Amino acid sequence: MKINFFAALGAVILAASCTPTKVVVPLQEGQWQIGVTQGRPQVNEDYLPVLGAYAAKGVSSTKTNYGGIQFSSLLLGAVQLEVGSVVSLIPHDGLKPGISYSYGAQSFLSTRDYAFRFYPEAGLNAYLQNGPHILNVSANTWVDPTWFMTDFGRGQLLAPSFSAGYRLRYKWFEAQVEYKVLNPTRKLQIPQNIIPDTFGLGGRGMYLGVALNF
Amino acid sequence: MRLLFTLLIASLVLQSCADVSAAMFAGGDGIYDFKNEWLEPQYHVDETKIHLMDFQSDDDTVYSLYLGDIAQIGTDTIILYLHGNAKSMDQFWETAGLFANLGGSHHFGFMMYDYRGFGKSTGRSTGEESMAADYDAVVSYLQSQGLTSDRLVVVGSSLGSLAAGPAAAGGSSIPINKLVMEAPQSTANVIMQNATGLSLPASMITSYKFDIGQNMEDYTGELLWMHGTEDAVAPIETAEAAMQKHNGSYYQEAVYDGAEHGLRWDIGDEEWSKVVLDFIRH
Repeated sequence: MKINFFAALGAVILAASCTPTKVVVPLQEGQWQIGVTQGRPQVNEDYLPVLGAYAAKGVSSTKTNYGGIQFSSLLLGAVQLEVGSVVSLIPHDGLKPGISYSYGAQSFLSTRDYAFRFYPEAGLNAYLQNGPHILNVSANTWVDPTWFMTDFGRGQLLAPSFSAGYRLRYKWFEAQVEYKVLNPTRKLQIPQNIIPDTFGLGGRGMYLGVALNF
Repeated sequence: MRLLFTLLIASLVLQSCADVSAAMFAGGDGIYDFKNEWLEPQYHVDETKIHLMDFQSDDDTVYSLYLGDIAQIGTDTIILYLHGNAKSMDQFWETAGLFANLGGSHHFGFMMYDYRGFGKSTGRSTGEESMAADYDAVVSYLQSQGLTSDRLVVVGSSLGSLAAGPAAAGGSSIPINKLVMEAPQSTANVIMQNATGLSLPASMITSYKFDIGQNMEDYTGELLWMHGTEDAVAPIETAEAAMQKHNGSYYQEAVYDGAEHGLRWDIGDEEWSKVVLDFIRH
């Protein structure tokens, strides 16, 4: 796989315009979850590895807080941290899906010139749970409060994403796989590379994760 | 809060701050087998006028190709071509043949060179400083042979626009008064922002902060901007915004509906040559 500057940008897309959904179904109160995620956004015919880690804690029976870091951004010189909460809105009941919502923020700090960006985010998850099996669909959007700081006025206030995933959650272990459509409201471009899109817009990728519960 | 603090400390410890600017350059091997047998007949050159040269650029050696009479650099109009992001000058031999026949056989002198890390040029291109040093090494030679500002035409094509911009904005030992920007990029931030859809500055991943819009604002000479509307490598919207910052003595644009980044291939050599030649003779 040929990786050049522009493909490295792909790694940031992925880390930047989208990170995997950390928690869909809130953890039990007092329960911790520590996981690593591998985003695999697609550039050309390849999937780029975007690595991150997170920790989450159930602070009540209906609310889980989490924090995460993206190693891929870090390797390129940007400290990317995220914090947020997932709150159960409607518990699942048999075939009736559960609903949870999330809110939080992403921050980026350049280690070169200390440029800082802060992106609040909010999301909604619908899930079906049967024993250890969790199926979910999620919608999420980042808010770009500094959209006006883009060169030549190319910014947008919202950067939405949509995903569908499967989680296998046991007492001590959880595995996650998620397919995500990134920012389908605008054309994403990396010079001399092709970002597979959806109806001509955005990007897409497969995200994997494993976590320990304790 | 404790979790956030721990993550912040971890990130500062772990971050290694790799700069991807060096990886931006797609240089590779070059053979430099510049012969007529690889050219269409209409672009054949006088093979006695093919000169492969090398120059010292800091600690590296930069290879260049000159087509024309070296003895006439002091009197000829010279086109200095800053090529795009391909492995080496080999990929631009056909372009060289076209320039060598622009307005007639060897009507203009033509020079191009490989940036560090491209073709046989040693070292690695890393950003603004290396690009400027390589440009300066070549232009200093031309200056030593008697080239003056009124006979210099600089053509920056795609990646070449990153070297041409700062040179036009005052970074050239021979001041540029005629500049052609073919499918130029705009700013480093735009590349980052088009890739992520967010307001992230390029400094998140690189220290190479080129700004061709600012360069055009600072450039006082004549500008021809050529671009295709379907260019996915250098999007026209931002290139246009950068070029229209030009504040110099003459501005001309040639925008082609449906054309992509390989502009000359899309619009044809005839149209391309006509527009460039008219601008040079303007």
